Amino acid sequence: MTVAFYITAAIALLTTMRVVTHTNAVHALLYFVISLLSVALMFYLIGAPFVAALEVIIYAGAIMVLFLFVIMMLNVGEEHARQERDWLSRRFWAGPGVLCAALLAITAWVIIETAHPSVGHEVVGARDVGASLFGPYLIAVQLAALLLLGGLVGASHLRRHDRRTPLRTDGGKGGES
Amino acid sequence: MNPTLQTLAVTLGILFTLLHVAAVLIWVERRLLALLQDRLGPNRAGPLGLFIIVADVIKIFTKEDWIPPFADRPLYVIAPAIILLTALVGFTIVPVGPGMVVLDLNIGILFFLAFSSLGIYSTVLAGWASNSKYALIGGLRMAAQMFSYEVFMGLSLMGVVILAGSLNLSEIVEAQRGMWFVLPQFLGFVIFLLAGLAETHRLPFDLPEAESELVAGFHTEYSSMKFGIFFVGEYIGLTLIAAMIVTLFFGGWLGPAWIPAPLVFCFKTFAFILFFILMRAAIPRPRFDQMLSWGWKYLLPLALINLIATGALVLIRAD
Amino acid sequence: MEGTQYWPFLVYVGAVLVVIVGQLLLSHLLGERHRDRVTGEPYESGIAPTGSARLRFSIKFFLIAILFVIFDLELVFIFAWAIAIHELGWTGFWGAMVFTAILAVGLIYEWRMGSLDWISRRSPAPRETAVRPAP
Repeated sequence: MTVAFYITAAIALLTTMRVVTHTNAVHALLYFVISLLSVALMFYLIGAPFVAALEVIIYAGAIMVLFLFVIMMLNVGEEHARQERDWLSRRFWAGPGVLCAALLAITAWVIIETAHPSVGHEVVGARDVGASLFGPYLIAVQLAALLLLGGLVGASHLRRHDRRTPLRTDGGKGGES
Repeated sequence: MNPTLQTLAVTLGILFTLLHVAAVLIWVERRLLALLQDRLGPNRAGPLGLFIIVADVIKIFTKEDWIPPFADRPLYVIAPAIILLTALVGFTIVPVGPGMVVLDLNIGILFFLAFSSLGIYSTVLAGWASNSKYALIGGLRMAAQMFSYEVFMGLSLMGVVILAGSLNLSEIVEAQRGMWFVLPQFLGFVIFLLAGLAETHRLPFDLPEAESELVAGFHTEYSSMKFGIFFVGEYIGLTLIAAMIVTLFFGGWLGPAWIPAPLVFCFKTFAFILFFILMRAAIPRPRFDQMLSWGWKYLLPLALINLIATGALVLIRAD
Repeated sequence: MEGTQYWPFLVYVGAVLVVIVGQLLLSHLLGERHRDRVTGEPYESGIAPTGSARLRFSIKFFLIAILFVIFDLELVFIFAWAIAIHELGWTGFWGAMVFTAILAVGLIYEWRMGSLDWISRRSPAPRETAVRPAP
């Protein structure tokens, strides 16, 4: 199981690297999906099957499709890929890269120096998650509901047209009716 | 027999059966539709026209495997693979008999929902990668349809989960020994049936590939076996939905003791596949906007009411 | 987790991958090849294609996607409640009730705002989405 965990972790890292370095937005997004799937598998391997399933259903199955929609809507084409390639030049990523590396080094040092965190000794099943969510953490669940309500209200205003100046959502080029 | 060998036989047997069911269904559907529409259907090649399957396979493999020069090559090739992969892998948690399951997962239902939501990528990416107008609109429609119907697909299953007290499909089947869940969960069953049909984009809900509006929708630019994989994927998705209905609402492999359990399961599943084909012949296609708003306005509240009522009843009975 | 056998799953997925790759390869090898004047053009019902296929599409698709994400999240909380219903009892039931009620308010709001209607009910004037791409 430990071997499987490290292999999936390596896949997650590699695919996430490709997300950053890929210039084609849709391809990068596919790598992102694979990265999320491997994170889900990691969750499963350390004994959190419910979280693993949610990772796939919510992130890979819902939020990433939303991202895909945005990319398709924004009409990202070849010129954007060229722009991406320009942004990937050294003078843009050198500074943040060095800082991130420093942060990583410190994190690694802290983890090695302090406790030896070990996971995977007990399995937290779906029933345990539910019992604590709607038990001690009930308030947090209701707050999440309010947050989602806020999202719903915000979303509905996306398509509100100002009646005096009708917004041409499709740029006048046509589209789905 | 050696238990390892037995498990291996079950595993490969399920896959083998699925792939052949998909092929045979092409013939079954054409013959049955012909019968229902007062035509003859394919009846020339071999007994009852059965060899049409072989002819179809030969034909589809020798067609030109055309990758459009304007398409996004890698995505164009991956898209059909995703649909077949998600449909086939989604089948691994379905128990076809006592202990006869590829992956006996404690979160079986969530696994099924996860894989059916991953199936969206296939059609959206196919539509986008084809770089063709009909394909793009078909892919978008597919995504909107799956978005709308997946929510209450999950909700409609929760009544079953409450009754069985488990997400594991084998345990859900065992919990139906006294009574099939279709009786206490009839509303849930109807909603799941509709959501499942929308998910597999079968004919009453085949708006993403409505041939009178969009030529062939998201697979307009596909040819040869890549088109064939979409076709096979659709049949396997249909079989998966039928199998899930049987497992969750109709007692899975439970049946008379003198019939082997897998046969009972296959028989029930096939009955539902025939029902789906019948629906295709009987019901006209709704308009796209009608279908979407119908889902959000009526099926979603109904699924919620069903869930709440089931929860309350179960708790009242427990008191 | 313990007691679950994983190797049949791996065998199954491996076999599925072999089937898919095999099908794609076989059709690639067996298929004919030809090049004609308009082989490399997108199919648009036999008419010469105009413009790009990268259409900009209606915001309503995006709206549906957002609604889906929000209700999918709600679904996740409901999953957690449904599986643990016996442990939680009536307290959990009323908790889930309040949770569902809050989102039901959201759904009613969307309904009243007309977000669930594909065709605008309140402002019939701009029929811009009815414009189809010129053939």
